[in-house]
Amino acid sequence: MSSVDTGLVTAVERTTEPVVAWRSWALTGRRDGTRLLLRPVAGRAHPWHPREVATATCRRSGVFHEAPAIGCTCGLHAAQTLDILRWTKCPAVLGRVALWGRVVEHELGYRARFGYPQRLRLICQFCFWQKGPLGRTPAVVAFYPRDELVPLCAGHLESAHASGMPPRRLLPADLVDQRLRDTYAVDLLAI
Amino acid sequence: MDIGAPKRIIEVEPAVLPVPGPVREEPLPAAEPAPAPAEPGR
Repeated sequence: MSSVDTGLVTAVERTTEPVVAWRSWALTGRRDGTRLLLRPVAGRAHPWHPREVATATCRRSGVFHEAPAIGCTCGLHAAQTLDILRWTKCPAVLGRVALWGRVVEHELGYRARFGYPQRLRLICQFCFWQKGPLGRTPAVVAFYPRDELVPLCAGHLESAHASGMPPRRLLPADLVDQRLRDTYAVDLLAI
Repeated sequence: MDIGAPKRIIEVEPAVLPVPGPVREEPLPAAEPAPAPAEPGR
């Protein structure tokens, strides 16, 4: 246990079953829908590469320590319930994620050392904010500068145009959704 | 995302990693040579 693990939580449970939790990501890719890449919705943390284990690292205190540490906020974050994710910044993809290695269980979620998505689907972030998982299915994926891909339902695509943020290109959402799952070799998230 | 206060630490050592393997196109094995035709009986 590292020196930052000086909190009240000291007991360690051991298991062979990965923890499975909810998570959302931002999405980037080329304008033709290739090179799809899941990225954390906040901060400058590393992207989650297809078919590679996502590994948490931390230099928050200026000194490298193994993530996740009890006395830090580092680690791969995931939520116990879907509802918490409605308040994350600009989610494009919703999914179930397997977590393993050291996992710190919190009251409402987890921080883990290793992770990989198990099920994924695109979401319209505006519908997700307003109605949760019952929002409308994205009709298109909008391509924006810096390779940002934003799934949008028909109504919120109109809103993007009306608010002076027209996408540079539109891709069919169902094809991007399928390509994303093929790229990461995971199943559809049914919600 | 606020996930509240830490409750416990779990050390997970999965028997099988929940990560798909890399995509590799293996070359197809060469076909076995066809058996020689049997000599016609006399």
